[in-house]
Amino acid sequence: MTTTDSDVLNVRAAAHRARRRSKIAYTLYLILGLVVFFLIWQLIASPISPLFYLIPPPVDAVKHFAENLMFSQRMVDRFVHACPELLDELEITGGGMFDLPDYCFGYILHLVRTTRNIMIAVTLGTVFGLTVGLSSLVFPRIADVVTPIAGFFGTTPIFIAAPFFVIWFGIEYPLMTTVGVVVFYTTLLMYFFSRRAADNIPVGIIESALTLGGDRGSIFRWVYLPGTIPEIAGGFRIALAGAWGLGTLVEVLGPQMGGGFLIRMWSFAMGLLEGPSAVVSLILFFGVLAVVVDGILVLFIRYITRWSEAGRRLGL
Amino acid sequence: MSTVVNFENLWCVFEHRSGQLVHALEDVNFRVDPGEFVCVVGRSGHGKTTLLRVLAGLQPPTAGAVKLGETAVTGPGSDRAMVFQQDTVFPWLHVKENVEFGLRANKLPEDERNEITDYWLQAVGLEEFADSWPRELSGGMRKRVALASAMAVGSDVVLMDEPFGSLDYFTRRNLHEVLLNLWFETKKTIFFVTHDIEEALILADRVILLAEGKLVDDIAVTLPRPRNEDVRATPEAVGIFKLILAHLGITEEEATQA
Ligand SMILES: Nc1ncnc2c1ncn2[C@@H]1O[C@H](COP(=O)(O)OP(=O)(O)OP(=O)(O)O)[C@@H](O)[C@H]1O
Ligand SMILES: [Mg+2]
Repeated sequence: MTTTDSDVLNVRAAAHRARRRSKIAYTLYLILGLVVFFLIWQLIASPISPLFYLIPPPVDAVKHFAENLMFSQRMVDRFVHACPELLDELEITGGGMFDLPDYCFGYILHLVRTTRNIMIAVTLGTVFGLTVGLSSLVFPRIADVVTPIAGFFGTTPIFIAAPFFVIWFGIEYPLMTTVGVVVFYTTLLMYFFSRRAADNIPVGIIESALTLGGDRGSIFRWVYLPGTIPEIAGGFRIALAGAWGLGTLVEVLGPQMGGGFLIRMWSFAMGLLEGPSAVVSLILFFGVLAVVVDGILVLFIRYITRWSEAGRRLGL
Repeated sequence: MSTVVNFENLWCVFEHRSGQLVHALEDVNFRVDPGEFVCVVGRSGHGKTTLLRVLAGLQPPTAGAVKLGETAVTGPGSDRAMVFQQDTVFPWLHVKENVEFGLRANKLPEDERNEITDYWLQAVGLEEFADSWPRELSGGMRKRVALASAMAVGSDVVLMDEPFGSLDYFTRRNLHEVLLNLWFETKKTIFFVTHDIEEALILADRVILLAEGKLVDDIAVTLPRPRNEDVRATPEAVGIFKLILAHLGITEEEATQA
């Protein structure tokens, strides 16, 4: 029996079907995993569980979130002074607190603010860390100076350093506190990742570039820069994932604003029926946000590293 | 095309962790005229790569010097492009950009770069793969990319360290042909490291024999080209073959057993 082109096409079609089946299976397992997760959650939240007064059922959390997103009565009652946006609005309108539009008392401003701050901070930290890290590849003296210092701070667990930022900047400068901690942490992380990425480029490739006439500039542009992207991108994902936690944690500690502040506000009201729902809903919000942003990031990283083996496996 | 390469009292000594000194090169002296095809032959660990690395400027000698004309080599440069034993193609650059690297580093204008790159891609038969990623090529094709990259920088001297060592017989033969054609056209000086005597007989004008870091013989190979099977079966060719074997300390029985 001989193999014809149509046989080959059949095999290809079969492979294609198999791939689609495995994608469907993947999605099914994902859904199954989520269902199991919510079932367990529901179980823990049910009256038979010893934790039921602490953990609300999923529906309650989601409902709380939806009801308080654009306007929250508790914010009006207790904490209207919290959000800097409110003060800005008051200055503009010159009116009283109750002349403000409803959304000023919703979660929305706080959540947007935290998201924005973390994004800004991670961007700044990445720019700082990469600038120092990558330029140290061109000027090794920079690394001689920076690495010991960075190493010293790098060994200080950031969760221990975070409270000091709160003390330094206090609660008067909330932006400085949250952004400061995250910038600090991202800068260190990206510095180390860019150095390590460069170390992992095979010596032979650098030597080859040298014998082809490469100088600092061209080796940086055509070897280090593209060659370090996969690891730097991986480092960026780690930095961002950590930044969500770190950013909100700092807000829980000090500043009178942001998603972390909302969590703190409610944590003093755990005795109320709504308290646990509120806290859980806010945690859930940041979890989902982090996963979604990471997913988008992964797609982007796959595109820019399509030259690598991973790219081959993904058929890019 | 006028640079004479001079190896003058070249020593290269390494200290191993045990404190033991290894004479990778020991008082090596020879001179290569422009346009020569030199094969460096020797057993494993006898200093071939070290010789090339010193010439490339990647390894400073312990004593003596390698001179291009009157100037001693002090570092790497595009006047001595090198093809390495291992895979050194940049995986993150398209094939065309790989070949272009040296030209970019030397700041050639774009149209000139394109012209040269296209020429060398065609010379190694990869013009259809100009926009491919290296991962989409076979091992032999990647070697051709490395070859084109080294040729494209336009150096008078090209260094090749067992470039085809990992390839199958047919691919090697094909690349020998490609390489010889390029050499005939450009008349570059080529240093080609190999431990394959047959490969040396196909390619070389001259065979430099290294044993334990010492230059033990310098054999002129005057066989007519092309060096097909018939030429390599002539008494002269067989004589050179046996001479090299003897120098490497391999008896004929050993060779036939292998
Ligand atoms: N960087 C180094 N440090 C220490 N010793 C070295 C170094 N480079 C080479 N040597 C030693 O020098 C000797 C010659 O090595 P070289 O790489 O030149 O051999 P070679 O002839 O190219 O061998 P092969 O055919 O296996 O590639 C070896 O004994 C090796 O251990
Ligand atoms: Mg070697």
